[in-house]
Amino acid sequence: MVKRFIKDVKKYYRYIFVSAKAELKAEVANSYLNWLWWILEPFCMMLIYTFIFGYVFNAREDYFPAFIFLGLAMWNFFSHTLTNSVKIVKNNKAVVSKVYIPKYVLILKKMCVNGFKMALSMLIVAGLMIVYRVPLSWNILYVIPLMLIQILFVFGFCTFFLHFGVFVEDLSNVVNIGLRLGLYLTGIMYSIESRVKGMAGYLLARLNPMAFFISSMRNAVLYGGTPSWKWMLAWTLFSLILIYIGVRLIYKNENSYVKVI
Amino acid sequence: MRDIAIEVNDLSIHYRGLQSYSIKQHLLRFRPNKTEVFEAVKHISFQVEKGQIIGLVGKNGSGKSTLLNAIAGIFAPDTGSIDLRGNTVSLLSIGVGFQRELSGRENIRLSGMLLGFSEEEIKAKTPEIIKFAGLGQFIDMPVRTYSSGMHSKLAFSITAILETDIILVDEVLSVGDVKFKKKSYQKMKELISDDERTVVIVSHTPSTLLELCDRIIWLHDGEIKMEGPAEEVMDAYLEYME
Repeated sequence: MVKRFIKDVKKYYRYIFVSAKAELKAEVANSYLNWLWWILEPFCMMLIYTFIFGYVFNAREDYFPAFIFLGLAMWNFFSHTLTNSVKIVKNNKAVVSKVYIPKYVLILKKMCVNGFKMALSMLIVAGLMIVYRVPLSWNILYVIPLMLIQILFVFGFCTFFLHFGVFVEDLSNVVNIGLRLGLYLTGIMYSIESRVKGMAGYLLARLNPMAFFISSMRNAVLYGGTPSWKWMLAWTLFSLILIYIGVRLIYKNENSYVKVI
Repeated sequence: MRDIAIEVNDLSIHYRGLQSYSIKQHLLRFRPNKTEVFEAVKHISFQVEKGQIIGLVGKNGSGKSTLLNAIAGIFAPDTGSIDLRGNTVSLLSIGVGFQRELSGRENIRLSGMLLGFSEEEIKAKTPEIIKFAGLGQFIDMPVRTYSSGMHSKLAFSITAILETDIILVDEVLSVGDVKFKKKSYQKMKELISDDERTVVIVSHTPSTLLELCDRIIWLHDGEIKMEGPAEEVMDAYLEYME
């Protein structure tokens, strides 16, 4: 199975990039402010959150706008890819009912689209860091492994939702509720470690992979901290197992999807 | 005897227990819902030689399209196997899968890639496809703005110009306006006359099948009722349908 997966990824990676690019282009072509929206939307969200949580709820973190923006960028990558995955086979009915394509290729394509938007947001974070004169340290290099682990995790996680999304019609309602809960539990607008005291905070920031990625990333980028190697390794392994099971599930069932949609 | 291009062995496809359900329904209903098994194709075996042209006939719902989808690799067989001996295959049918937001040109590129062609090959053939489809400036507009005729014209052109080893045709010979119909029929004949190309055609038009096919398979309720030379099977089929 691993061999087949590698072979398929090799065969389809050009398709993934080309179709992701085409989708981004189409998105641009259809709106007035076109690509500005990719920056404007998260930027406005950041303003809202900064205002509400910074001033109304008094959540004080250093470099608060950058803190929020970084978390928001990573969370959006996760949540958008997840919401897309649930309906992805149905939304690509035109394609999947005409030609064979490994269905997880559709997730990878969405990840490229959402990843590109995340990268744009990251540029803004960099801009904010310059404005706030955040001192840089070599720990910023941890961005690379953290991003990679996050990508593995999101892919593995979404394969399951692709599969069950085909058979369970109202899965998207459940996912929306779950994502809202996740948004608050993950500490996008506050720091879990400084707000939730004791063991609960410690576990909340580590057992929730997105919370772990986001808080490690903030630590490395904004505050010059080192993420925990132990947990990074654990989440890498966990993600690889998720991918293995998820991709196998898809391979086993994908040709029945078309009969349902 | 020539090489075999398609080998179908004891193929069955059913639609069973695969209906989607919702969590709400599941919570509100206490006994498990009974699932009905519908066998669309029942234990079919046949072989197609390379370069042959096969027609599939049968009344609506007899499993013709299901069979085509299975050969194209879109449906999984529930029992049995389909062996294409490594040939590339494409399914030509009304309203081929395009991504509606993308332009025709981009859809050509993506469809070609999904059919297993390299980007250079696609690039080289794109002008020919565009010319054959005859869409003019619409080729750079999003596909969602196309009329259904333009849609099918583009779909036909892509599969017809990017020549795969096996072509599966699902009632496509009546696409577009009179002019395009003539052109596509001509192209179809040209493609089919290639000795290397294997073609399976589903159609309800006896004259088309008689003219194009070497052999006809008559499907009835998911089973092969008759198989043989085109005229023989067609006569028996038409008599039955009367």
